[in-house]
Amino acid sequence: MSENLLEIADGILEKAQLAAAEYHQFNQEQTDRIVEAVFKAGFNSRVKLAKMAHEETGMGVWEHKVIKNVLGTQLVYESIKNEKTVGVISFNPMTGIAEIAQPLGPILAVIPVTNPTSTVMFKILICLKSRNPIIVSSHRGASKSCAEAVRICYEAALSAGAPEDCIQMITSGSRDFTQIMMAHPKIALILATGGTGLVKAAYSSGNPAIGVGPGNVPVFIDESADVPFAVSNIITSKTFDNGTICASEQAIVTVDSINSQVTAEFQRQNCYFLTPEEIRKVEKIAIVPETGSMSPQVVGQSVSVIAKLAGITVPEGTKILLAKLDGIGKEFPLSSEVLAPILAYYSAKDYDTAINYCIDLNYLGGIGHSAGIYANDDKRIMEYAEILNAGRVLVNTPTSQGAVGGFFNGLPPSLTLGCGTGGKNITTENITAKNLLNIQRVCRRKPIEMWFNFDQSAYFDESLTADEITKEYYKNH
Amino acid sequence: MVTFDYNQEGKSITLIFTGRMDYQAAGEINEILLSEPVMKNWTPEESIIFDIGGVDYIASSFIRICIQHAKQAGSGRFSIINCQPLVKKTFKISGLDETLHIT
Repeated sequence: MSENLLEIADGILEKAQLAAAEYHQFNQEQTDRIVEAVFKAGFNSRVKLAKMAHEETGMGVWEHKVIKNVLGTQLVYESIKNEKTVGVISFNPMTGIAEIAQPLGPILAVIPVTNPTSTVMFKILICLKSRNPIIVSSHRGASKSCAEAVRICYEAALSAGAPEDCIQMITSGSRDFTQIMMAHPKIALILATGGTGLVKAAYSSGNPAIGVGPGNVPVFIDESADVPFAVSNIITSKTFDNGTICASEQAIVTVDSINSQVTAEFQRQNCYFLTPEEIRKVEKIAIVPETGSMSPQVVGQSVSVIAKLAGITVPEGTKILLAKLDGIGKEFPLSSEVLAPILAYYSAKDYDTAINYCIDLNYLGGIGHSAGIYANDDKRIMEYAEILNAGRVLVNTPTSQGAVGGFFNGLPPSLTLGCGTGGKNITTENITAKNLLNIQRVCRRKPIEMWFNFDQSAYFDESLTADEITKEYYKNH
Repeated sequence: MVTFDYNQEGKSITLIFTGRMDYQAAGEINEILLSEPVMKNWTPEESIIFDIGGVDYIASSFIRICIQHAKQAGSGRFSIINCQPLVKKTFKISGLDETLHIT
């Protein structure tokens, strides 16, 4: 590795550490003033940044990127603005335990190309709220728009009194440099959002990491579902920014008894079922055969662009391409994650078989991420939720907008969705400011009466059993 | 209460199980399989299929029985069919769903 890169990394981290030292002294009011200023500046630039990101990446829909920027600023701000993140944040008189929030230190925030400016602003807000300096490492394909988002937020932060260098950005897009940064001893935490390789690199760096990777979201339409409503919601979700949110639906699973109704409804709402020959053509351009992962050329593209790439003709105004598949796995490339308006479609003979399809889809690269169900049968909803390994199970809700929180439910608004140990993550939560704090617990003396009243010499008598000792331990309680 | 039955068709033996396959039941099933003539007379040309559509719980000892029979049958000659969702998930968690050809 180049010495020059190491020196650059040292320089960035030195500045970040100084910022951390200064920021650590700020009180809640000072912190909140900075966060509010950054929210307003980011929010006020929502349209400009969305257009920049769209133009630079060639992905998605700029109007939808505006909504993502709104999520990453307004909705995130609303969810954290009243949170205590400085000093004593709680005291429980029953246990005598007070909790004190401490910042972590410099955070390396890795940004995906699919949601660039919204993720930059979201991560800056949650880092600043927790008094952590942030170093933004953007995807090469979105470096200009990310740099502009960083500039806007940084200027606003400084004007509100934030420490110098509390927000920095890595301008080098090389993988070597990102790895040097990840492994740097002065990094307190890596906040990585991206593909499997990136998340693995973050966790392998030797530094603490919250790494959030891919999904493969199955959505089950039950017999009890309101089918037109379900289909309409799925379309709203899967077409949102041309499917670039990792929580977007990847496969629709239903049962034979309502298959014709579901199929007809998708067709009525301008979706197109590919023929077997067309499926093969779309597979070729959507999935890289060597890796089985999605091809960047289709990510965030519209149906018309995808159809052109695949050399197929679809009716004008088609919103989503659906592929009726007979199986799940490598032999059926479209059964894996594709961040584009393409959906796998399955109809099963009965409920159990349908749920088994969902399990297979869930385990095909999407463990721990998200799943959806459309049903009006609470028992089935809860059965489905218990069976699937998903951090979020969205009920009668578009999964893209539902999983990120803030629009359809009480989940914390977030552009970094924890996938639990199934996804090699430490949490299934929607990541927010509280995940970026070290919580100290100040434990006042609250003697446990039983312990002090109990004759502890009993522990040394081997003849006494657990039942006998427990009985004595709780005597008179 | 567990039950066991089988079907033999051509070069394929389907063993049909029902009930809660806990540690004790798996032990009983293992004994039955060891003494069952259809398994004693099994030949390597025959594939083995476990139909567990009627099984709603599996202990690790039953998964071991599945592994033994998968090894006995050899590559591509063993499969498990008709899993209930909870049982299917159990095989997924065990990491053996591909080895045991769960369909």
